[in-house]
Amino acid sequence: MFQAMIKKEFLLLIRDRQALIALFIMPAIFILIMSVALRDQFKQEQISFNIMVLDQAHSSNSKKLYKSLLENKSFHLTNESSQAALKIIIPKGYLQNPKTHTKLQVVVLDALKGDILEIFKAKFTKVLLKREIASIQDKLNLMLKTKIKNPSQELLLDADQLFTLSYQKSDDIPTSTQQSVPSWIVFGMFFVIIPMSTVFINERKQNTLARLNSMNTPLWLMIFSKVLPYIVVNQLQVVIMLGVGIFIVPLFDTPALLINGTVGAIALLSLALSVSAIGVASLLAVLASSAEQATTIGGILNILLGAIGGVMVPKFIMPEAMQKLSQISPMSWGLDGFLDIFLKAGDISMIFTNALMLFAFGLITLIISMIILQIRMNKGL
Amino acid sequence: MIKIDSLTKKYGDFYALKDFSLEIPEGTIFGLLGVNGAGKTTLLSILNGLVNFDSGSVEVFSYDLKTQKKEIKAISSIIPQNLAFYEQLSVKENLDFFASIQKSSQDSLQRSIEVNSLKEILHQKASTLSGGQKRRLNIAIGLLNNPKIIYFDEPTVGVDPRSRGEILDSIKSYKEMGITVIYTSHYMHEIEYLCDEVAIINQGELIKHDKLDNLLSNRVSDKVLIETIANAKTASLKVKLLEKNFIETTQEKLCEVLNILDENAIFVKQIKYGTTDLENYFLKVTE
Repeated sequence: MFQAMIKKEFLLLIRDRQALIALFIMPAIFILIMSVALRDQFKQEQISFNIMVLDQAHSSNSKKLYKSLLENKSFHLTNESSQAALKIIIPKGYLQNPKTHTKLQVVVLDALKGDILEIFKAKFTKVLLKREIASIQDKLNLMLKTKIKNPSQELLLDADQLFTLSYQKSDDIPTSTQQSVPSWIVFGMFFVIIPMSTVFINERKQNTLARLNSMNTPLWLMIFSKVLPYIVVNQLQVVIMLGVGIFIVPLFDTPALLINGTVGAIALLSLALSVSAIGVASLLAVLASSAEQATTIGGILNILLGAIGGVMVPKFIMPEAMQKLSQISPMSWGLDGFLDIFLKAGDISMIFTNALMLFAFGLITLIISMIILQIRMNKGL
Repeated sequence: MIKIDSLTKKYGDFYALKDFSLEIPEGTIFGLLGVNGAGKTTLLSILNGLVNFDSGSVEVFSYDLKTQKKEIKAISSIIPQNLAFYEQLSVKENLDFFASIQKSSQDSLQRSIEVNSLKEILHQKASTLSGGQKRRLNIAIGLLNNPKIIYFDEPTVGVDPRSRGEILDSIKSYKEMGITVIYTSHYMHEIEYLCDEVAIINQGELIKHDKLDNLLSNRVSDKVLIETIANAKTASLKVKLLEKNFIETTQEKLCEVLNILDENAIFVKQIKYGTTDLENYFLKVTE
């Protein structure tokens, strides 16, 4: 009986083309796009801003500031407000009277994200500090009657000049591929929620489950027979996504995925993630009233769990409360585990707790699904 | 025999079945009639052990439904109103799957295929079948466990007349195999064609249970049905025309109608006295 149920699940799954595309091709494309897109994420020097400068002061100080901005590669000056992301207004009296400090005004013209604005503020502050120091130096020169050439160049204001950033081993340097692959593996695996719940609801709605029940098929078998085929699908997904990271991504001039951890750890964690994703799918399947509802809720749930769990946005940049909230997402447990495996050369002992939590979550949701299904079937579905 | 005694099933405050008692003899084709929501599907689901009941008792072929549900399921089969199979699988894959679930023999599998004329379409994907072929597959699955009782819940919905005829004939043949058939349908002529006995349910209660012949007996009506030889003029006459060649009248007005037909040179094929049909009877008792 169990063998027949498993075979049926495989056949249904293999013939659902849309589901297969969603399960295998989409995560692979995600990995490719995100790895290439994030390749230069931390190279802030390459980020530049189109700015418009409105000089109302027409003073030597304002002209010097204008010149500094013009010479800085991080800023492209334009006279067209439609092309500018930011407008800098140098007001009358700028730096003329130390007692009445006249501030510059910066107007954001484009829809810039908070993190990009932070980068702008840092870059702009650097320019202003250089200018202020140069101005103080000029005054000191006058007082001391000894001229120091290019004073700002002698000050260590660049991060590169202030400190050096290095890793203990060269292998430890995380590449964009290593950072994006774990996220999309976890996200992709949870996509089984949609096809699995849809198949299950169709069985429920078309009375196929009732028919199986009338044939003395136990409820646990109806639920658990779905676990194995989707575990196989999930493991295939992991293999394909790792393959994309290792073999396809380098073809796009992006670092290949380096797996520092053990294969055993990857296998255990992906197995635990499967059980967890299948548990969520079962719960959705018994709670949703139609396949359409399951597809919509499943999609939203996947994105929500991903967003909370740190798949979309790295957890370390989330607010503290949000970081605490992320701990409730099973995607977060899986993601942390994969990051440990890829970045910290994690083995089974390192990811064991995460795997255990995922297994427990999956089993609990499967058991709850079974209880709900039993109640619904007793009521005639 | 199926013995139902004082069966009650409630959904919240609503009585789906109320103090319902009925005996269904073995080896008959038994019709269950009732409007939508009368309680037919609930009754079938209870008899199959799919839905629990609140009070009363049910005995199916000497098995008690409360304590021997598994045994009852093993000798029963339900043909649900919906097409309860997998559209993505072929006819053969569906039959193989449901046969494996019930550990059916190869003989049962072959018999299901033959009785339901599925041999030619075995390798066709279920989703590509016509409405009639899908219905036949739905029924074939129900035969796989070699059941003693088959419950049909409106099995001919959305089926073309030709396929419907084939399905009805196959159901008649089950009686010859010794299978007890319990049949629900909205099509009264199907019940008339198939059933030996009929029970009429209304609002969860049994209204009438009798042999079909008794329900349609002369005592019920003084109506007379005249069947004529096809003639285009019939439609223009001052008579109550039921269908193209069928005129309905009463014994009192029979001579008058026959005279009209004679004057118009319309020949009579047959006259049936005291007829009623199940539909009229059903409407009368469920008013």
